[in-house]
Amino acid sequence: MLYGVGASAGIGIGKILCIQEQNLDYTAVEYQGAKAESARLKAAADAFCEITERMAQDVRERIGQKESEILMGQVMMLQDPLVTEQMEEMIAAGSCAEAALDTICQGYIELFSNLDDELMQQRAADIQDMRTRMLQLLLHAQSIDLTLAPKGTVVAAKDLTPSMTVGLKKENISAIVTQVGGKTSHAAILARALEIPAVLGVANLFEQIENGQTAIIDGGKGEVLVCPDEKTLGEYTKQQQEQWRQKELLFIYRDKQTQDADGRSYDLYANIGSVSEAQAALENGAEGIGLFRTEFLFMNRSSAPTEQEQFETYTAVSRIMQGKEVIIRTLDVGGDKEIAYLNMPKEQNPFLGWRAIRYCLEQTDVFKTQLRALLRASAVNGNVKIMLPLVTDVQEVRAAKALLEQCKQELKAQGIPYDEDISVGVMMETPAAALIADLLAKEADFFSIGTNDLTQYTMAADRGNAKIKGLYSTFHPAVLRSISHIIKAAKREGIPVGMCGEAAADPLLIPLLLAFGLDEFSVSVSSVLQTRKWISGWTQRQTEQIEREAMAFSTANEVEEYLMKHSVR
Amino acid sequence: MVSAKVRLTNSMGLHLRPAQLFIREVTPYGCDVTITYNGRVINAKSIMNLLSACIKQGSEIEIKCNGENEEECLKAALALIESGLGE
Repeated sequence: MLYGVGASAGIGIGKILCIQEQNLDYTAVEYQGAKAESARLKAAADAFCEITERMAQDVRERIGQKESEILMGQVMMLQDPLVTEQMEEMIAAGSCAEAALDTICQGYIELFSNLDDELMQQRAADIQDMRTRMLQLLLHAQSIDLTLAPKGTVVAAKDLTPSMTVGLKKENISAIVTQVGGKTSHAAILARALEIPAVLGVANLFEQIENGQTAIIDGGKGEVLVCPDEKTLGEYTKQQQEQWRQKELLFIYRDKQTQDADGRSYDLYANIGSVSEAQAALENGAEGIGLFRTEFLFMNRSSAPTEQEQFETYTAVSRIMQGKEVIIRTLDVGGDKEIAYLNMPKEQNPFLGWRAIRYCLEQTDVFKTQLRALLRASAVNGNVKIMLPLVTDVQEVRAAKALLEQCKQELKAQGIPYDEDISVGVMMETPAAALIADLLAKEADFFSIGTNDLTQYTMAADRGNAKIKGLYSTFHPAVLRSISHIIKAAKREGIPVGMCGEAAADPLLIPLLLAFGLDEFSVSVSSVLQTRKWISGWTQRQTEQIEREAMAFSTANEVEEYLMKHSVR
Repeated sequence: MVSAKVRLTNSMGLHLRPAQLFIREVTPYGCDVTITYNGRVINAKSIMNLLSACIKQGSEIEIKCNGENEEECLKAALALIESGLGE
């Protein structure tokens, strides 16, 4: 396995084509007099300009204006009056055309390489490319023509020159591997624009590969596998096909609305646990954030994050989502999430213990810091909502809202802006909450069903315990009845109800959830498009029939088997 | 000889694309064109000279045109820079 910089994500599989530097030695060229040398230089320059303009034209149509301008820049550099003058002077003084061109170009390559400006340093590569191609023309050497590369070619080169871009066609070039270059190099930008997987900066590349070898390039990880065995090849081929399928989904469903086959609209949100995931959510077509877990802010550090730190993080996500709804869950510590400096005592039964909202309502300093940060963030785009985890009692909602009210008064007194109408919702994840959904719906502005914990608590089955794995099932009639009950209670009180557990992206459960009347599906970033596709396949008549039939079974197995037959097509 | 001072407003300074545009604009007029930047006089018809000067965004430059059609050339050069050099 060879390692480099993963510069353009994706998996490429193909046969290696090594592009080695040519020997462009001109020491044997004899000087034929100033007039003849000057004429040779001019003929080569004319040919160069004609070829390069043609390349630029092709690149403009296929790749874009910017790449095309880089090539046209080479034409202008060769025709630069100063450059021409300097070359002519050398020829007059007894240099052959090749020597004149080479010397002058080398001088400029050095000048540009040493400039204190990254953008200008890149021009050295342009001059280098121009020099090589001019020498090829003068010496009648074969030029590299990637347009002739067969389908499934993995291009291996020292660096990707601007003139090579002409031959880079996605249909034929499976991947790119180079010896120099990094994430921001021209080659990297180009590979990403063309969506060709690329690994750059592989040290001693040509000592480790040969022409015609099969290679797998993982442009995400920056790995190159040469001569893989059958099994590895099969695994990567599968991965590659999955990536293509995702891309296709992206193409078809990214900018579509989330609608069922009858045209009824739903909100399709993403669950995230960091700021960077918000960007990915947006790029994958999420219409909002249905669950922003805030624990990451508190983990891997020695003290709680400050109000300002939290404010900046919440604001960043709210900004990235461009005014789309962002539901932020308050600190959900305890259970399996331990944070040393919060001084939570060891408990016999942490999942049934002092955690989440229970902890926050007692440690009001921690909780109020978070609430103030959330309130301040809500003023920026007006799209922030607060969600309380592990609620079992109406009193908890009231107490949290009372603290929120205190925070609002404090902010008001300090003249700090916040959204007066910020929504406060309840995460429905305990059997108690499910059974009093009607009571909670009177106090909460929205519900979001957390199916992972709801299943675990309803079934009294630890999902991590292999012995009782069979009991932990969202298909169990008890869990499904709970979900249905929660949704109906929300509807009766006229508050929106979403789901932020794994079940929201389960193709077997989607028709049931649609029939129950779920308003919002919040799924992992990578499931957004697939979920949109699944939702789009159902009519109300079909889902109502599935609801009737599935809810009539007595066991989780029966429900699951039925849904396997009727939910997936 | 005519000359004028102007401030470069485009975001990346005088990089490849604006430099190409500038040279294409002034070359047909026939006069000599120079840019004075940071005390250095640059042949403004030479892309190598223009690029290696690394003229940054927001800097003030002085354009001088000398010879055939000098006034028209200066006017065209200023108009191009004021329009943001194609950005």
